[in-house]
Amino acid sequence: MLAIKNLAYRYPQAEKPALADVSLNTARGQILGLLGPNGAGKTTLISHLSGMLPVQQGGISVDGQPLAVIRRNTPTRIAVAPQEYAFYPMLTVLENLDCFASAGGLGGPRKQQRMTECLAFAQLERFAQTRAERLSGGLKRRLNLAIALLPEPELILLDEPTVGVDPQSRAFLLDAVKTLARNGAAVIYTSHYMEEIEAIADRVVILDDGKVLCDGTLDELLGGGAVRVLLGVEGVSGVALSALLDSFGTVTAAGVNWLVTLAPEKNPVALLAALEQAGGRVRYAEFGRSNLEQLFMTLTHRLLRD
Amino acid sequence: MLFALIKKELLALIRDVHGLAALFLMPAVFIVIMSLALKDVYSPPVKTLPYAIENRDHGPMADTLVAEWEKRHGKPQTESQNWQDRVQSGKLSYALVIEKDFSNVLVAGQTDSEIQLRLITDPGLDGGVFAANQAELVMIASEMRARALLTAARMAQAAPRGRPAAANAKATDSGVTVSAQALVEAERYATGFRPTAVQQNVPAWLVFGMFFVVASLSNLFLQERQCGALARLASLGVPVSTMIWSKALPYLVINGLQAALMLAVGVWLMPLLGGDALSLAGINWGALLLVLLAVSMSAIGLALALASLVRTQAQASALGPVVNILMAAIGGVMVPKFVMPDAMQRIAEFSPMNWGLEGMLAVLLRGSDMNGVLLPSAKLMGFATLMVVIAVLLFRRRVN
Repeated sequence: MLAIKNLAYRYPQAEKPALADVSLNTARGQILGLLGPNGAGKTTLISHLSGMLPVQQGGISVDGQPLAVIRRNTPTRIAVAPQEYAFYPMLTVLENLDCFASAGGLGGPRKQQRMTECLAFAQLERFAQTRAERLSGGLKRRLNLAIALLPEPELILLDEPTVGVDPQSRAFLLDAVKTLARNGAAVIYTSHYMEEIEAIADRVVILDDGKVLCDGTLDELLGGGAVRVLLGVEGVSGVALSALLDSFGTVTAAGVNWLVTLAPEKNPVALLAALEQAGGRVRYAEFGRSNLEQLFMTLTHRLLRD
Repeated sequence: MLFALIKKELLALIRDVHGLAALFLMPAVFIVIMSLALKDVYSPPVKTLPYAIENRDHGPMADTLVAEWEKRHGKPQTESQNWQDRVQSGKLSYALVIEKDFSNVLVAGQTDSEIQLRLITDPGLDGGVFAANQAELVMIASEMRARALLTAARMAQAAPRGRPAAANAKATDSGVTVSAQALVEAERYATGFRPTAVQQNVPAWLVFGMFFVVASLSNLFLQERQCGALARLASLGVPVSTMIWSKALPYLVINGLQAALMLAVGVWLMPLLGGDALSLAGINWGALLLVLLAVSMSAIGLALALASLVRTQAQASALGPVVNILMAAIGGVMVPKFVMPDAMQRIAEFSPMNWGLEGMLAVLLRGSDMNGVLLPSAKLMGFATLMVVIAVLLFRRRVN
């Protein structure tokens, strides 16, 4: 549905481009997780898709038509739920929905129907008459999402939609996003929370310094690579433990624990047996392939929250 | 602990550039403007006011009077013939009319004569200036009469015994009136309005108040820009022109309500509080509405431009009121334009508040019709258009 090809953008007076040769695709019914540290180019990319920035180089198309044509003729096919609470705090939930529904060109019974549906989708019925400024963080996020969904967009851009919300609201929002994709929308979801991306994204794009570092399904991205074992061990001195672990692969300290990236011919069972034989007590052990956070760190050499 | 908190407060202050500007720059600019504007306030500007003389007498006394007045007030305007329209519109501050019998009556010392000197002023002329001119005219005429009577008395004394002093006999009477007050009349050009303080103040503060939508509009605008609501509207395909109109129209209504409220205060509340009432009798309502609309459009245009210009709430909070107060100080709202020195009066003519004020005074004090307020209204609407163009250009950049 959405195809971005060799997109590049440089802000006036900027030393380096905010986006450089970015290409990615997303399809209806698919959630694309967009990961990247601050300054990676996520907001610039979303600004392009929401029509806030013109295409300088490369191209963006929706169903084969240039984005500019889509934005000019049917702008409501693409909706953005920005990171900010992009609504009017002094208006009630219903008044906000009414305002943005009208701004999106809805009217008459159709408008009422969409308002009711979005209110129900975001489970905000009880707060319909509450001023937006009096809602909790989680409810504000839901309202932000409900407004974005009013014109029934085909492509939905969610920019950090769970920042500052309680666990229940987060779970609700993630379920809601999955429902949107199930109902046929294409969703682009940016987040700092890797576990969220792992939980809902069908495809993941990692962006850094304006470039796409990797693009693929979670299985494709996390399937390869070495097996890692994270260990917390007592009863063996540091030097002896380090020597023992070294014989199984590459060892790095991870706080009070040790992270062992096993050599191809080694396996965790032998590692645990060797530790027991050396008199060590395994206090903590985590075994598996790399997770998204580790992949991100490997690719960018920094934490996502940097 | 106290030191740390004080340090924090000072650092916060120093880093708030716009707050500092409001604290230091504004008073400094204000002092400069007000000092320049009030430079001549203790030496009444009666000497520099533009005026006309219509001399219907041409007798020796009339010529003397004209010479004396010119000595004190400078030459009259050259286009003094059709002074009526120019006085009514305020282009001339007053006209001095000398009736045809002035010389005879003054010398004769008649006390029951008709008015011989008329001072007809701009309807909006300040009360103090009005009184000062009237008193000066009475004084000059009285002095001339006293001199004439003294001369007549000397001549009578010098005349041979037994020969009557004829025409001058009466002048030597001890009961003769030296004051020429009865010969002098000062009036504002007939418009049907009473030039009370209310009649002069309501237009000034109404214009000032209408421009205060600048602060309200720019704050709200900034708020929705910062929270992303404007970007969201833009992404929904709402045209910039619709966004601008959606802001302008409610504030046009608000300005209308402000105007209605302030006029109502002048008409009904002021008399209840023991003050003079604002008189709207006989005004041209079309002209009033035109000026109010033009003022409102200017205020909203300025608000939109400022709102699009500022980047933070602090800037919006500081800039709006500062611009308003400075425009009021320059524009004749806080200090009447006529007391300002010439240079400041020229500067005042560049203030939109002054255009609004002139338009309102024309309607409420001079009884102007639509033609009389076309110029200030056109200036205001031109200003509004310029501001909206700037706002749209900045708006596009800011939303993006």
